[in-house]
Amino acid sequence: MSVLSVLRLKDARSEAAKEIEEYKKSKEAEFKAFEASHTGNTQAVQASIDKETAAKQQEIRAQYEANKDKVVKKLLDRVVLVKPELHRNLNKVEA
Amino acid sequence: MASRPLNDDEVLSEMNKMVAFIKQEALEKAREIKVKADEEFAIEKAKLVKQEQQAIDAQYEKKRKGAEVAQKIAQSTLTNKSRLKLLQQREEHLQDLFSTARESIDALAKDEGRYVQFLEGVIVQGFLSLLEPDVTVHAREKDVDKVQRAVEGAARQYNEISGLTVNATVQGTLSNDIAGGVKLVSGTERITLDNTLDERLRLLEDRMLPEIRADLFGPNPNRKFYT
Repeated sequence: MSVLSVLRLKDARSEAAKEIEEYKKSKEAEFKAFEASHTGNTQAVQASIDKETAAKQQEIRAQYEANKDKVVKKLLDRVVLVKPELHRNLNKVEA
Repeated sequence: MASRPLNDDEVLSEMNKMVAFIKQEALEKAREIKVKADEEFAIEKAKLVKQEQQAIDAQYEKKRKGAEVAQKIAQSTLTNKSRLKLLQQREEHLQDLFSTARESIDALAKDEGRYVQFLEGVIVQGFLSLLEPDVTVHAREKDVDKVQRAVEGAARQYNEISGLTVNATVQGTLSNDIAGGVKLVSGTERITLDNTLDERLRLLEDRMLPEIRADLFGPNPNRKFYT
């Protein structure tokens, strides 16, 4: 049996609600700080990735320019290269 | 207690003493109750607050986890996008290279000596693949003479290599727009062998891709096994 009167119980609830509200506010502030640091981090990562990508693109382009003539020549040489051979399972028909 | 009956003063005094005693008892009891009530108040309040705090903590923990996961996803998406960009660039370079090659094959038909030699080789290769007694050799209109010469040499070579003979007829049916080469069709018109320069280049483009990629961009650092 509770000694607390109904009125007192209401008081208890309203005081508790105030404390809870304060706690929530502080947690919200904590979370916001966390988010802010996170966005900062994402941007930094993006910038560094973009830089790396640009550098690699440069490299790829340079490699291509350096080697493409050689490869085109290789291709064209092999187009005309022909070695006629009899199928390996056949034998020459002796007249 | 006196055995004789009390006089008025004594009665009054006793009553006052009783009143005072009852009052005292009552006050103490009241204080007890108040203390108990305050305690219960405090406990009830603390219980409510703690409950809610736990709920709030759980909520924010979930939020935080969600934010972390989202960050990881974002990062992964960025690296993936970057990789795709690079791969796309390589593909564009490859296509550029192939179109350059395609434009250049016209030149291969210009050197007459080499071209006739090429034609002969390619026709023998065709004969050896078809292994048919009757073959129609389709050539470009302007190549008909050269192909005629090549066919004679090719038929001889075919006989040397395989011991078989072939009856070849030349037709100038291919358009003059293509780069060069021949198409061979078996006598029964069931088998076609495309040995034109364009087709050969196309096949090469496809088959040489690993080699081309290694030549253009260097060997793959991630590859661990080579037969």
